[in-house]
Formats: sequence, C-alpha cells, structure tokens
Amino acid sequence: MEKHKAWYKTNKLGYLIGALFLIIIPLFVQSYILHILILSLIFAILASSWNLIAGYSGIFSFGHQAFFGLGAYVSALMSMRLDISPWFGLIIAGLFASIAGAFISLPVLRLRIIPYIAILTLGFAEITKLIASNLVDLTRGELGLSGIPAFTSIGTISFNLANRINIYYLILIIFFITILVILRIVKGPQGLALKSIKESQDAAESLGVNLTKHKLYVFMVSAFIAGVAGSLFAHYVQVLTPSSAISIDIMMQVLLIVVIGGLGTIAGPVVGAFIVVIGLEYLRVLGDYRLVIYGLIIVLVIMFMPDGIVRKFSKIKFNRK
Amino acid sequence: MELLIQQILNGIIVGSMYALIASGLSLIWGTMKMLNLAHGEFYMLGGFFMFFLNVSAGINPFVSGIISIAIVFIAAVIVQRVVIHYLMEKPGWTESHLIATFGISVLLQNLALNIWGERFKNIPYYVDANIYIFGIGLSAQRILIFMVAVLVIVLFWGFLKYSRFGQALRATSQDRDSATLYGINTKLIYMIAFGVSAILATVAAIMLAPIYSVNPWMGSDLLLKALAVVIIGGLGSLVGAIVGGIGLGILEGLGIIVFSSEWQNVIAFSLLILVLWIRPSGLFGTKEW
Repeated sequence: MEKHKAWYKTNKLGYLIGALFLIIIPLFVQSYILHILILSLIFAILASSWNLIAGYSGIFSFGHQAFFGLGAYVSALMSMRLDISPWFGLIIAGLFASIAGAFISLPVLRLRIIPYIAILTLGFAEITKLIASNLVDLTRGELGLSGIPAFTSIGTISFNLANRINIYYLILIIFFITILVILRIVKGPQGLALKSIKESQDAAESLGVNLTKHKLYVFMVSAFIAGVAGSLFAHYVQVLTPSSAISIDIMMQVLLIVVIGGLGTIAGPVVGAFIVVIGLEYLRVLGDYRLVIYGLIIVLVIMFMPDGIVRKFSKIKFNRK
Repeated sequence: MELLIQQILNGIIVGSMYALIASGLSLIWGTMKMLNLAHGEFYMLGGFFMFFLNVSAGINPFVSGIISIAIVFIAAVIVQRVVIHYLMEKPGWTESHLIATFGISVLLQNLALNIWGERFKNIPYYVDANIYIFGIGLSAQRILIFMVAVLVIVLFWGFLKYSRFGQALRATSQDRDSATLYGINTKLIYMIAFGVSAILATVAAIMLAPIYSVNPWMGSDLLLKALAVVIIGGLGSLVGAIVGGIGLGILEGLGIIVFSSEWQNVIAFSLLILVLWIRPSGLFGTKEW
C-alpha cells in the first residue's frame, strides 16, 4: 500500500498538467480540431470504462459496444419520442446500460476462462445490435435516427453545434468525474480486492474476497459509464445507426485505444484515445486502407509493446501476470 | 409438413458445414488453448480464392478447390509462425491471443474489401440437378455439401486418431512439456494444427459459396455462428462441434418458419448465452471454464 501511495503522489503532477492542458487547449483551436477533441474525450470515457473491467478486474469483455449503443439509443429515443430532456436521458442511459450490465454479468460472473467471457459478451453485443437494426418501427433500422436534439441550454449557455466549446467543457467535466470515480475504485480497498481477483480468483476467494459482489459492482459501474458515453455521443453527433453505435468497430477502437495506451493504467486509455482518434482523422487520406492499418497496429502493438505507451514512458515497474 | 421436412433437411446440410468450421475452432482450442477470432477470415479467403480460380479463371471446381485449400493452408501457417508463435512464448497469452487474432481479422477483412471490392460475387452450383428423396426435392449441390462434410469429418477424425501426426498432436495438447521430452516438435505441431483448422474453414467456404455469396464480410458472420456452435457443443470436443453444428442448422431452418430471417442470429446467440449460463461446458465439453 505504501508503494502504491508513493506512485500515486509522483504522478499527481502529471495528472495536473494533463488536466490543465485539456482545460486550456480549446481556447486555441478552431472548430474542426475541437470536434476531434470532443470525440477523443468521448472515446476516452468509453475506453476508461472498459479498462476498469478488462484491465483492472480481468473480465475481458468483447461486448462493450452494447452498453455504449444502448445508452446512445435509449437517450436519443427518449428525447425524440417522449420529449424527455437529454439531461435526464444522460442518467437514464447510464442506468439502463448498468441494468443490462447486471443482467449479462449473471452468466459472466460464473466464467473464469477469458475466451468464454469474450464469446459471451460478443454474443450479447450482437443481439443488442440485431435488435436495434430489426426493430425498424422504433429505431428506423439501418437508416438510423437523425435529428436527435442537442443538450438543452442552461440559462445562456447553449449546447448546439454552433457552440462546440460549451459541449467540449460539458464532456470534459463528465470525463473528469469518470476518472475520479475510477481512481476511487481502483486506488481504494475495492481496488485491492479487484487486483487480488485478477491475480488469482481462487486465492482471493479463499481469503474471503466476495468475488460476485466486487465483480458485479465493477461491471455495473463500467456499463453505467459506457452508457453515459453513448448518450453524450448521441446528443453530440445527433445521428445514430446500429453500425455507427453498436457495431464491433466501436469495440475495435476501444481495444486499440486501451492496448496502445496501456491496459490497467489510468492514463493509458486517455492517451490512447487521443492518439487513436486524432490518428484516425489524419489517416483519412488513406481512405478505406485505414482499417487495414488499424488491424496491423493492433497486431504489432500486442507483439512488441504489450504494456502500452504509458508504461513505456513512465518508470512504473509493473509485473504482468 | 413437407415444408417442415424440407427445412430440417436444409438445416442438417448447412449445419454440417457449421460443424466443419466449428471443428477447426475446437481443434485450435484443444491444442493451443486459444480462441482464433480470425478463423472466419480464413473462411472468407477460401471463398475468394475459389471464386477467382473457378469463376474468373474457369478452372474446374475440384482442382480450384484443392488449390484454394493449399493457398489458405500456407497463409494460415504463415500467420501462426509470424504472430501466434511469438505470442505463445510471452506472458499474458490468455488475453493477447484474443487481441492479436481480432487484429488479424480486421486486417484481412479490410484488405479483402480494398483489393477485391464490396460487390457480392457468386459461384455457380458445382452440380446442376435436382434429386427427389421420398418426394422431397433437394438440389444435388446440397447433397454434395453433406457428402463432402461427412467425408472431411471422417478424414479429419481418422487423421487425429490414427496418423502419427495426429497422435503427436493429441499428445501435445495433453501435455506440451512431456510431448517435447518424447521428441515431438511441438512448434511444428502448432503450425500444422493451425493450418489444418484453416483447411476445414476453407472446405466449408468452397461448399457454401454457391449457396450464399462471396464477400469480405462472409467470414465474420460465420465466425459468430461457429462460436455459438462450439459453445453449445462444448469447446474442444469434436463430437460437440458436429452435434452443435447440425443442431444449430436445424434450429435455424425451423426458426425461419416462425421468425423472419433477420432474427436468425438472435436465436443462435440467445442459445449461446443460455448455454453459458446453465451449462458452460456445453453438451460434450470438459469442465474447464
């Protein structure tokens, strides 16, 4: 624990500089770059939530896009069909995703072999996607939803696309809250329990760690955050299709982000998100070959830099299992 | 009634191909303890090579089939030697192989999309006739599919059971270290096991391509089905893959009568979740979840 604290303290300065950077940068860039930064933040939130279960708890889910997409669709549909304010939608999207997370975690919690967990969550995400594209009356299927309302303005602060900078700060605040929540879980007693579960389930269980309780809790928190990220995405881009919000492509991006940044680190998914989303924009010149490059990078990173960039550039010693 | 029997027969026929693809996944799981998420892409490659050889170049189906199988086998061996081989030696294998094979799948699928385009390609039936069994009409193509499936599975089973190589493979999957001590070249075994599993996927692609079509995404759809099959039957079990494959085929065939076809995969995945919930080892698997 002592060692943990020391590590945390030395990194405090880094966190602070990073946070300050994120706060002042939008003042200096034009609208298009701001758009990319907003997307990076949304993906940073999503990737951090996946990292919480995959990196810290060893529940290697392949279906995180389901929670993201559920959050996006629930929030968008509620604001379009029921006229519920997107601000409520944000919370309800999270709750909805975390209920789905609780439901799917029932079978997941019994499994210990990682590939089984991967298949199960992948199957769950496919079902979610198929439902979204087959319920044409509700979701317009592959045609997608368009004209999703933006967040309603608070006083004089409006959140439509003309005021991107306000959206940026809104998402930045949610991003900071997300990181604080994850830090609290990971660095607190819960984090130690999770770490012990990740190292050895049997040993943890024999020492009295309540596996089911901890895993369920983390899974629900993670799904909640992913749902919120989905809702932010929906009300920001204002257009949703099953393949843009629930497809395996979302999972691929999350995987790429976390693997590049560093699985099981706080800063990893954030750094990774900025690298990947900005990289995605700059690789646009390559057209469809972009995804080929993505696949190649996933393979190369897992072969030559499996600990990720963040660990590479900090002096943290980390014992991979 | 006739529709019912027709659908069951169709289910068995398509299911026999699911069984082939699933046995490939199961073989890899059994020997290397890995789930190959790029398995569907070997299926896709098989379909494309078959299209180019048989349709574009006009070579007869049997010869094109053999050549396609050989090419995909070599491709799979290269993938194993260049990527999987190194990851196996490193810590973190239980997650890293999933990430790596997923990356390979994204890579190959989009490479195919960019090189060969997104237009769906069709391969004509290899045999053009209709056969009537007890008054139920079936195209000879479908009969051929089933016969090939039975033949390949019997060959595969015999290969694992009786050939020296198959014995070495089973020894390696039981205990890698002891197998090495007995002079088995386990690295070679892994390479060839990977290649053989890709062959099974290619055979399925060659046989199913005339019924479905050839496109860059054909593999990911079938991979998901094959995953459902191996889970239902039990990962690592050949009997499980066969029973699971044919079972899923029949279920889909019958499901089409009740639900419309876009709900087909929802049935398969719901069943997958249910099986993992109630009996994670599947019908024939061993307890190792």
